[in-house]
Amino acid sequence: MTSDRVLGILAVLMGAGMAAMSWGYVAQVEYEPVGPRAFPLLLAGLIALCGLWLVFKPSHRAHFGSTLQMRSVALCALFVVLYAVLFQVLGFVVATALMSIPVGRIFGGTWKQSVLTGVGMGLVLFVLFDTLLDVVLPAGIAKPLFTAIGL
Amino acid sequence: MDTYSFLASGFAVALQPMNLLMAAIGAFIGTVVGLLPGLGPINGVAILMPLAFALKLPPETALILLAAVYIGCEYGGRISSILLNVPGDAAAIMTAMDGYPMARKGMGGVALSISAWSSFVGSMIATVGIVMMTPLLSKWALAFGPAEYFALMVFAFACLTGLLGDQPVKALLATLIGLSLATVGVDSNSGVYRFTFDSIHLSDGIQFIVVVIGLFSISELLLMLEEAVHGKAVIPETGRTLFNRREVAETWWGTVRSSLVGFVVGILPGAGATVASAITYSMEKRIAGASGTFGEGDIRGVAAPEAANNASANASFIPMLTLGVPGSGTTAVMMGALTLYNITPGPALFQQQPTLVWGLIASMFIGNVILLVMNIPMVGLFTRMLKVPNWALVPGILAVSAVGVYAVHSTTFDLVLMSILGVVGYALRKCEMPMAPLILGFVLGEMMEQNLRRALSITNGELGILWESPISIGLWICAAAMVIVPLAFRKLRKPAAGITPAGAVVEQA
Repeated sequence: MTSDRVLGILAVLMGAGMAAMSWGYVAQVEYEPVGPRAFPLLLAGLIALCGLWLVFKPSHRAHFGSTLQMRSVALCALFVVLYAVLFQVLGFVVATALMSIPVGRIFGGTWKQSVLTGVGMGLVLFVLFDTLLDVVLPAGIAKPLFTAIGL
Repeated sequence: MDTYSFLASGFAVALQPMNLLMAAIGAFIGTVVGLLPGLGPINGVAILMPLAFALKLPPETALILLAAVYIGCEYGGRISSILLNVPGDAAAIMTAMDGYPMARKGMGGVALSISAWSSFVGSMIATVGIVMMTPLLSKWALAFGPAEYFALMVFAFACLTGLLGDQPVKALLATLIGLSLATVGVDSNSGVYRFTFDSIHLSDGIQFIVVVIGLFSISELLLMLEEAVHGKAVIPETGRTLFNRREVAETWWGTVRSSLVGFVVGILPGAGATVASAITYSMEKRIAGASGTFGEGDIRGVAAPEAANNASANASFIPMLTLGVPGSGTTAVMMGALTLYNITPGPALFQQQPTLVWGLIASMFIGNVILLVMNIPMVGLFTRMLKVPNWALVPGILAVSAVGVYAVHSTTFDLVLMSILGVVGYALRKCEMPMAPLILGFVLGEMMEQNLRRALSITNGELGILWESPISIGLWICAAAMVIVPLAFRKLRKPAAGITPAGAVVEQA
């Protein structure tokens, strides 16, 4: 099965789902001829049509990398999601350091290089944005430490 | 007031110390982002946009910064093309054809300086074109009603779908997904919540920055894992670094011709810098004929595409400023930046925000001078940037992207949505789905729906109004032509595939 077929099936499902949801979008008081559901319904229909086209006339087989490469892509994606989830809880400095180490390793850095860039970057970017440029970043679990040194 | 006094007031804005500083910073960052393989103008503008907003820069300063980044990228892309044979961004593919052979012959310095010069000429010609054309076009655009706007947006999508890639269905699907993402949130006309899944974070709609950074920056980082650019040696610079008078004379008319072509291509929605440089490269090759050594290090083959891609990048500001309908992915992102400031680009902008528009246009003149100065003597500094390893670069981009997303609403929700969209974007790009139509759809979605509903309110639901006026009829015809003509061309060309080198590159882009 080509990747186009999968994409097409997903598009058909998405169109169907959108149509089902938007069917219920009716305004309580209609004072214009085209209400809130027409445009989403139109889009849903066209998305499903595109999907059908791809199912019946697929043209492309995706060139995914080797298994090893795909594993590092999946790992990297996992760390990006973890970074997003932990960003606020752990605070910028800690989360950035923890993200940079595995991502740096995946991109070919040594342990030493990755740890040093991770920690350094977390601190430097925090001081740059939060302290100097006034873009507020979460301090998280490092907060007591920051207050102690007066940042 | 006439154009000249407006332009003079624009220079007064652009020459303010803060704005000059931002233009210089933008030019520097843009050149760096442009030369790093994988990162193009959309990434640069997308990452800096939320930061500019979070730094509370006034709108004209933010726009000056972003425009300088955009134009800087077009300058920067050539550096890695010439020295590494790896284009720094898509528009610099053609520059590698003759730039790299020149560098191997020890003429790298000359190739770098002549391409900086032709980039400058291209940008300047296009900026003069902007000054001449935008006031007229915006006056004409004031006559547009909702029906005309709807047709215009269909035309913009048709251009992007027809010209981009050989798989128009996927481009159309991308556009539709973008339009659908824009419908998320409360419908302002009726108060109905659409596709919010009962989440308060979605009731306001999906944040623009989250979509752009997720789909472009995060997915790009994942793609970088598969493209091993490592181990490519930068060719050391030897010999002359500055071009001489004979080389300027040799490339002059090609540069001017390519700038004009680039300008025209840039105005069209969708075509953009990559197409412009491909067209002009093959045009100059044909004009040079037997006297040319194209592909083996002909200096004209370096000057022409660089002039064209810069001219077209500058010209792509025209549809955004005058019509409020951006023509390229990067200007769509910039239009998103304006909406952060509650400014709606379009014909009325020239009356309501003259300082913003003319300040931006004047800053493009200044930004180009800064870029020329930066790119000839300081090229060695930029070359060193190519040595930054990915293990430091990727976490850095990720951290700065997260800072930008977090700066707008300070929620974990936005960050998680960003990372999910990054993974989705990666998968879509692996399936050869173009991202520019998606982002354009997302930016224009609300405007398109509103204009459609407003037009149909006028006639109480009668669809005929959509193709009633001569302007809208013309736009519908152009839209149809944009879809049909490239398809027909491809059908006709198929038996003779491989004859035109430009065609092959256009399809990759």
